[in-house]
Amino acid sequence: MRRVVLIGLALLGLAAPAAAGAQPAGDAGVEGFRGSGASAPSHLNHREARTPRDGWRATKTLTRQFVQPDGSTYSFPSSTVTVTADQTTNLRGRQRILITWKGAQPSGGRASNPYGENGLNQEYPVVVMQCRGIDDPSLPQRKQLRPETCWTASVVQRSQVTRSEGEASWVHDLDATEEQKGRLSGLDPFPTAEECPAADIDPYFTKLTPFVTAKGQTFTACDADHMPPEAAVDAAFPPAEIAAFTDTDGTGSVQFEVRSDVENESLGCNDKVACSIVVIPIVGLSCDQPSAPMTRSDQACRKGGRFPAGSSNFANEGADQAVSPALWWSPSNWKNRFSIPITFGLPPDTCDLLDPRPPTGFYGSELLAQAALQWAPAYCLNEKRFKFQLNQMPDIAGWKLMESGNGVAAEVSSEHPRTGPDPVGYAPTAVTGFAIGYQIDKPDNAGEYTHLRLNARLIAKLLTQSYLGSDLGRGHPGIGDNPLAIMADPEFIKLNPGLSQNAQEAGATVLSLSNSSDVIEQLTDYVAHDRDAMAFIHGKPDPWGMVVNPKYKNIDMPRADWPMLDTYVPETQNSCRQDNPAVYFSQLAAPVSTMRDIADALLDSWPNVQTRCEKDLGTGLYKLGRIDRQSYGSRFMLGIVSLGDADRYGLRSAALEAKPGTYVEPDTRSLAAAVQLARQEKVHHPFVLDQGDVRRSGRAYPGTMIVYTAARLQNLAKDDAARVAQFVRVATTEGQEPGSGNGELPGGFLPIEKTGVTAKLFDAAQQTADAIEAQRSAPSGPGDGPSASSGDGGSGGGVTPPGVPEDGEPSTAPEPSAAPTTPPMAVEMPATEPVGSNLAGGLLPLLILLGAIGCVTATALRVAAPVVRRRR
Amino acid sequence: MTRLIRTVVAFALSLACVAALPGAANATVYAQIEGTGSTWSELIVQQWIADVDANGMKVVYTGGGSTKGRKDFAQDSTDFAISEIPYQGTDEQGQADTSNGRDYAYLPIVAGGTAFTYQLKIGGELVRNLRLSGETIAKIFTNKITNWNDPAITKDNNGRKFPSMPIKPVVRSDGSGTTAQFTTWMDHEYPSIWRPYFGQSGLTSYYPKNGGQMISQAGSDQVMNTIKGFAGNGTIGYVEYSYPLNADYPVVKVLNKAGYFVEPTQYNTAVALTRAKINQDKSSQLYLTQILDDVYTNPDPRAYPISSYSYMIIPTGDDDPRMTTAKRQTLADFMYYSLCSGQTKAGPYGYSPLPLNLVQAGFDQIAKLKKADGAVDLTDRDVKSCNNPTFDGKNLSHNVLAEKAPQPAACDKVGAGPCGTATGTNQPSTDENTGGGEGGGATGGDTGGSDGAGGPAAAGDAPTAIDPDTGLPVAGDATTSSGEAVYANPTELVANRAVDQRTFGWLAVLELCALVLLPGFYVAALRRRRATKAGGRP
Repeated sequence: MRRVVLIGLALLGLAAPAAAGAQPAGDAGVEGFRGSGASAPSHLNHREARTPRDGWRATKTLTRQFVQPDGSTYSFPSSTVTVTADQTTNLRGRQRILITWKGAQPSGGRASNPYGENGLNQEYPVVVMQCRGIDDPSLPQRKQLRPETCWTASVVQRSQVTRSEGEASWVHDLDATEEQKGRLSGLDPFPTAEECPAADIDPYFTKLTPFVTAKGQTFTACDADHMPPEAAVDAAFPPAEIAAFTDTDGTGSVQFEVRSDVENESLGCNDKVACSIVVIPIVGLSCDQPSAPMTRSDQACRKGGRFPAGSSNFANEGADQAVSPALWWSPSNWKNRFSIPITFGLPPDTCDLLDPRPPTGFYGSELLAQAALQWAPAYCLNEKRFKFQLNQMPDIAGWKLMESGNGVAAEVSSEHPRTGPDPVGYAPTAVTGFAIGYQIDKPDNAGEYTHLRLNARLIAKLLTQSYLGSDLGRGHPGIGDNPLAIMADPEFIKLNPGLSQNAQEAGATVLSLSNSSDVIEQLTDYVAHDRDAMAFIHGKPDPWGMVVNPKYKNIDMPRADWPMLDTYVPETQNSCRQDNPAVYFSQLAAPVSTMRDIADALLDSWPNVQTRCEKDLGTGLYKLGRIDRQSYGSRFMLGIVSLGDADRYGLRSAALEAKPGTYVEPDTRSLAAAVQLARQEKVHHPFVLDQGDVRRSGRAYPGTMIVYTAARLQNLAKDDAARVAQFVRVATTEGQEPGSGNGELPGGFLPIEKTGVTAKLFDAAQQTADAIEAQRSAPSGPGDGPSASSGDGGSGGGVTPPGVPEDGEPSTAPEPSAAPTTPPMAVEMPATEPVGSNLAGGLLPLLILLGAIGCVTATALRVAAPVVRRRR
Repeated sequence: MTRLIRTVVAFALSLACVAALPGAANATVYAQIEGTGSTWSELIVQQWIADVDANGMKVVYTGGGSTKGRKDFAQDSTDFAISEIPYQGTDEQGQADTSNGRDYAYLPIVAGGTAFTYQLKIGGELVRNLRLSGETIAKIFTNKITNWNDPAITKDNNGRKFPSMPIKPVVRSDGSGTTAQFTTWMDHEYPSIWRPYFGQSGLTSYYPKNGGQMISQAGSDQVMNTIKGFAGNGTIGYVEYSYPLNADYPVVKVLNKAGYFVEPTQYNTAVALTRAKINQDKSSQLYLTQILDDVYTNPDPRAYPISSYSYMIIPTGDDDPRMTTAKRQTLADFMYYSLCSGQTKAGPYGYSPLPLNLVQAGFDQIAKLKKADGAVDLTDRDVKSCNNPTFDGKNLSHNVLAEKAPQPAACDKVGAGPCGTATGTNQPSTDENTGGGEGGGATGGDTGGSDGAGGPAAAGDAPTAIDPDTGLPVAGDATTSSGEAVYANPTELVANRAVDQRTFGWLAVLELCALVLLPGFYVAALRRRRATKAGGRP
């Protein structure tokens, strides 16, 4: 009997850590977006699939009350507010949670940026913030949430320092204690004059809301020097807390970004420290019995707002304090809070910094970036594996490094021309793609636009810089009558009705990549397969009379890099622009070098348009720079992002036209439909997705891309070859398990599986992995690596019949592998280029015609002359 | 009794398993750190940031220029800054450029060459092998040389004449360390050209734009965009070598003291920086900052003159308002990674790895974080564990890379060439067999071996060239002459122009019509004449 207990105890001990280890994996399994076959919505964003699972919902009735001078109580009409959150458990830092509400008081005086201190001058907003602790009176005090544990990025959001009486409405809060109504309140003992020199100045009022860190340190929050270190102005991450706007129908929503203790150490939320998201719909302070006559602070407390519902306050004028978000901590506001408890997931195990193994770098595609972040720890944490690193760079740069032997493998998503002597195999590694990300607000503060549709011609118009941007572009030869920006283009308006048609410079462009990329190649290939788009590029006006920018007329497509071809420098009286003559359309486009930068620009709704021209006060020089961030309520920005980034940061992706009239959004189903269309010509070669097929299908997403691990099939060092093969095998098996844990596949990717539409990719990957590992120096047939996969994967399109010697590149085997290199590459004669002159082209026929007419006249005269003479 | 012992042992063992399994890797606690500054070194810093994510470190870096980086650091709004130049005390505008009382230390993070990238087209084809002397460059950026057909440029290119086209220099509009490095070089090497233009001596972070064709742009990305743009023909600008490399764009080969025109590859930069004077006075606030005077005049034929280091500015105060133990740990470990493993990718990205002595000095600076906060764990984070294959473990001040750097090709010498090889490809221009095709990383050995006297044979007046077809050495002269032959001024050929096709197409139709109709007309006319003649006589 005792033995049984003993074994039981031992088992228990062993089981505990195993269970702990298994937990994230188990969770991840639930979280995946393997929605392809299931009936669940198959959006690439996890978000929508999650709602029913661990969402949160509550309803409260909120009422503002005044005690009248006669002692009676007047109640304003109540509002019954329902708040929902789409996910609350197992969160990661910087994850965005969708919070929605209905039934709230409509807001007024919308700020151009509602985050942090910029959102203070609004009326009747909904304050959303993250606080440490949860609302449970049964818990000890230190685990409960209170205003002192709620995070704000600035002092003015939490403290009211030296306010005049007319700005001290909180001292009449109906629910406040006598202490809280004092001239100085919030901290006992109140800070001394040395510590906070500005806090106590009679007769001004001060209310401090100190911040208490996770470690128990108290910051008095009387000025910027007494705030926690994360609360810096211009911090890398903009503030997450927001005074959000309620539309006139009482609804509103916000994507709230949670911060873990990694991002915000002082707030300190993690898997052990419970936190909450606090949502406070502001209905206005409730006020106590006024003195007679009413004091200025009595009056201040009873104010009802100066901005009408639905209005904007872009000038950032002052709002009525009693209905502003600034007093969220005041008891009558605080009691209206909804506290949504949230839990953070276990932090994933991480690589050991002192790991002596040198990293093995794979070079190339940024499309794989989000996956590589999750995959890397699964390699370094496993003794049997190697230390994997993805070095992101333009596909072609990664390809060249791989070919020259400076990199073991490249990550690319299309076929690249071979320049080296060795054959290269492409192993499918992930299915993802690009999206046209957007951030667009509906007019009149009616919320964000969520169903953007674009067709190839609109993309062609954006890429060819055929919109004018502003009046500066009007002087551009040949296209002066084109719309200023896409929102003013009738074609766009027809496709996306109900949006503001006020042109902005940012609407004249889609933020794109400056360097060569397979993404641009695919995007331009999509455009090139559209008849209308190509007709436009070839010079045919669209039905509304818009014409292509002549500099881009007849540009070759598809192409991997998109050039800046315009040369138009506007003539203007502006002395700054005269001093900095720059090509206006190139400044509008201002492409950047990574898709990550584009995702950041979209997240901040900060277009990369470089047309701002101003005098630098420091140096007195005129200079060009980036325009301002866009204001909430009038945002409009488009950018090319990877599906991985779009999912990670919750960016919206436009639906692209596939079959005429059918618009397809990126999701698992549309990615799978595209994979179904992809074909492999030869073994070890990449699959080709013909955009012509996509245009016929109507279900396939045109931006679907397969990322390949490309490595040499000869002359790769044995160790490296084994690592690349291992990477391909691991990436296409456990790396395709959807989830947010180590080694798993993040959102924005379609899992490659042994069965179904992706089977052919799986088979091709195993086959190429075997060939990479084998590094056949002599042709040895495919049989050597007993690859189980090629046998059962009969359905795959790319399986070669055995016996045929891997016919990838038969001609290359006898080539001398050690070619003498880098000799002075002799001749670089500029290729003879067609040189054209439209003037001469026009003049020449004219001259010839003149000559011909001359000939004819001369002949005619000659023939006619005798006749005439005779008649005479 | 034994049973009881066994029970206890078993239980203890199982408990030990619980305790030992998790946690081991998570011993260090990290918190996110953020910084701003240089766009010169941004490309590699962003990659390091992506790499350390696997270690659980969150680092956020935004460019914006070195001046902004130093300013943000001084205002306590960042945890670190990256800058090419130290705090200037008072900047060239007379404004304060200090850390505002915040304690800090400089830490070199990566080396690189400031490259001059350009767009110059002949007959629609990009010139990829332009060579310029330092003096010519200084004159171009001070509006003294304003046309590509200037005799000075022709001379630099050994008689190769470029078309008449205005030169449009592109400079940075924001406060930039790249500008500071470039103007330091001009101020030191060509004061008689630079100072009259600037109106004072010394460096500046804001490039002075005195009329002319100059264009100013914010950030290295935008400089690159402007030059690459179609309207960019005739432009030239200065950026870190990685930018043109990423854009697959050519860079100027700059003349060095030994009389060779060289490109800022990782090798040439490393060679040049062997002459950098590093402030070794540990008590100095400028400890580890660079004095580049001898780099500019490095007599090695492989040296790229405008090479420099980029620096991180880290907070060292024990009462620093932004720092916590977790943040210091993150900063220390991020730097440990960057100085060690991170350096291995410097070459592919267009930078050059740090020599070991600087890495070691960097560790001394990191140690100041532990001094400020004893809880920071620096165990085993030292040069011994530094995973950097470019180091020579025996001699710390050796830069292995500088030793295996290939000699420049003979056609790169002043008065010879120019070489036909393209720049901006990250491949050294050399006559040595560097085995670019096979495992470039492992070539250290055969570089020295390939031609006996190889490596240090220095001056290498005419290093042997290898014929690409036969693999045999060919005479240096042959390369030279063939080079000249190729680079005679290209003549535009007028065949096959689109416009002509159209025009002559019509002409052909017209002629065909004429061919068919004219004889008929002629006969008809003859007949009529005959008829009239006949009619006149009867």
